[in-house]
Amino acid sequence: MTETLHRLVYYSRNCLTAAPEAMDREVAQILATSQVNNDRVGVTGALMFNKGCFAQVLEGPQGAVETTFERIQQDARHGEVTLLSFGPAEARGFPVWSMAYVGGSDADEARYGSIAGESGFDFSRLSGERIFEVLHAMVLDEEQAAA
Amino acid sequence: MPAQIVRAHPVGYSDPGSLIEDLAVGVLVLGRLGDVVFANTLASAILAPIDAAGLTLDALGKELVRIGRWSTEAAAALCRITAAGSDRPCVVEENEGRALALTARARNDGGWVVTLDDVTHHRAANRIDQRDGLTGLASRGELDERLKAFLAAVQREGGQAALVCLDLDRFKAVNDTLGHPVGDALLKMVAQRLRSAVREGDVVARLGGDEFAILQIGGEQPQAADALARRLVDLIGRTYVAQGHMLNIGTSVGIALVPEDGLSADTLLRNADLALYRAKADGRGTFRFFKPEMDERMQARRGLEIDLRKALALKEFELVYQPQTRIEGDTVVGFEALLRWRHPDRGLVSPADFIPLAEEIGLITPIGEWVLRTACREAALWPDSITIAVNLSAVQFRGSRLLDTVTSALAGSGLAAARLELEITEGALLEDTDAVLAVLNGLRELGVRVSMDDFGTGYSSLSYLQKFPFDKIKIDQSFVRSMASDRDSAAIIRAVTSLGSSFGMTTIAEGVETPEQLARIRAEGCTEAQGYLISRPLTPEAARAFIAARVA
Repeated sequence: MTETLHRLVYYSRNCLTAAPEAMDREVAQILATSQVNNDRVGVTGALMFNKGCFAQVLEGPQGAVETTFERIQQDARHGEVTLLSFGPAEARGFPVWSMAYVGGSDADEARYGSIAGESGFDFSRLSGERIFEVLHAMVLDEEQAAA
Repeated sequence: MPAQIVRAHPVGYSDPGSLIEDLAVGVLVLGRLGDVVFANTLASAILAPIDAAGLTLDALGKELVRIGRWSTEAAAALCRITAAGSDRPCVVEENEGRALALTARARNDGGWVVTLDDVTHHRAANRIDQRDGLTGLASRGELDERLKAFLAAVQREGGQAALVCLDLDRFKAVNDTLGHPVGDALLKMVAQRLRSAVREGDVVARLGGDEFAILQIGGEQPQAADALARRLVDLIGRTYVAQGHMLNIGTSVGIALVPEDGLSADTLLRNADLALYRAKADGRGTFRFFKPEMDERMQARRGLEIDLRKALALKEFELVYQPQTRIEGDTVVGFEALLRWRHPDRGLVSPADFIPLAEEIGLITPIGEWVLRTACREAALWPDSITIAVNLSAVQFRGSRLLDTVTSALAGSGLAAARLELEITEGALLEDTDAVLAVLNGLRELGVRVSMDDFGTGYSSLSYLQKFPFDKIKIDQSFVRSMASDRDSAAIIRAVTSLGSSFGMTTIAEGVETPEQLARIRAEGCTEAQGYLISRPLTPEAARAFIAARVA
């Protein structure tokens, strides 16, 4: 029996250090860890982050998504993890691991204006569905720009 | 008997070393300097690949730790074995799970004989009891044993520790709504989180149900326990996802410290439990350290409980009746029945002191039935125009017997249903809308009246006013008392009375004590009043006299 595909969206505050270099390092580490998990248990997803917040979408078999999230919950470095949504999904929105930076520069502002306008970069004011949609759109943009 | 056998066949052994070789335990012989001068084959096999020859126990332990076979605690236990001077074997567990029982016996020449006995199988046989089947944590029995062993060591050598007891808030709701498989999965995850929060050497146990305990050994107390408790409240309170569900629970934590809060396992468990009780009473999702006054308060509560359990049988309860009047025309329309407990030694006990306790221990149901029957019987003696209001506890409201009890109280007294008015607090309405509405409608079908008590004090029950046609809204006395000084209170009273009149409900103000207050509530549109201005609560006889004087 194959487990049904599930999607989970959460955000977390203050888990990343403010200094840009340190933040790059930490995000790189999170992404690397995430990719290892991907190989092992079939969980993919996307990261979105800025200075104060961090949002993640996890997609995969139900049990694997649950185990991955539980590992995150047990990690003392994650403060105030808020689970925004969790449930079955039709298909993966992110078949490979992806990430997006939602910074404060003018270029970013123009580009991710919809988030800035709606939330002032405060992920807590976005629904799980909205974070998923925004991330999805951003990742598609990146792919087109690279092509 | 083995001793006889050895004596009967001594010639089979060419030297004592050969005899030692044949023993089913590992043997190390230490010289006067504490170094290993002899190891039998079994000892060498147990310690391989380490060659024990020439090593002290200290050095041997360090080697075993270095190669990852033993924990530092096990090595320390090995070092202590010659110091302990006890015949009782000390059991150490290797990192791979093998258990070794160690003994040491002093020799005449100042050296030692140390035995190493593999007791893994023996321990495995006991394992079933030592481990909690669901979570794999230590069982209550195992915690008890470890605690006793630790306390014995503390009494010899001193030391600090904390016993941390916790249980889960809202776990029952998860179990009830999503079923035991989800509840069990959640308990396993909680167990994992507890393990992740403690240090090596601490004991994590499941005491049963959703109760857990941690023996935190070492660390600077109380700081270490404080840090652990904070971490537990945060960690256990984080959202879980299990079997497709998002689950939210919390935890309350109570802490007793060794040695100041007790040196016996029973005392420590009891004191940690008292602290846990306090944490729950203080709103859950928090932790409390044990304090001696918690014990005193608990003893007082226990005394009250014992007396309360007897009060009904000893007929120590009585009802008094406070008149309610219609403001226009100043006519008596009814009485509210109020419960009093007159104890021979305690005197008059305030309902605020015993009702919450009665609710907690389930006594409120029989007490509530007594109140209902007694009040109905008394009211049946009054003129037909006068109603009787009886308070219902949220606990009674949740129970399945309420409709039967009301039916039988009416039948037993011969009181017309329309003359009985049941007062329900906002709190009772919070729980489960559909079930609550079913009970309310059931009462309505019996023909009794239903009023909402203490309106405005708790949570907004406005939605209920729409869903269920209450006959009356009772405005809490706190608003009446403060309306002269607080404009908000006056505004609330005005809002409630206009709400009442638009829904076709009567509004009654409680706690009316002065003519000014009466004038004000009348001006705000309130239809009925109750309070000292009209009359104090009256004994049954006085109530009958009051009626005779006013309703003639």
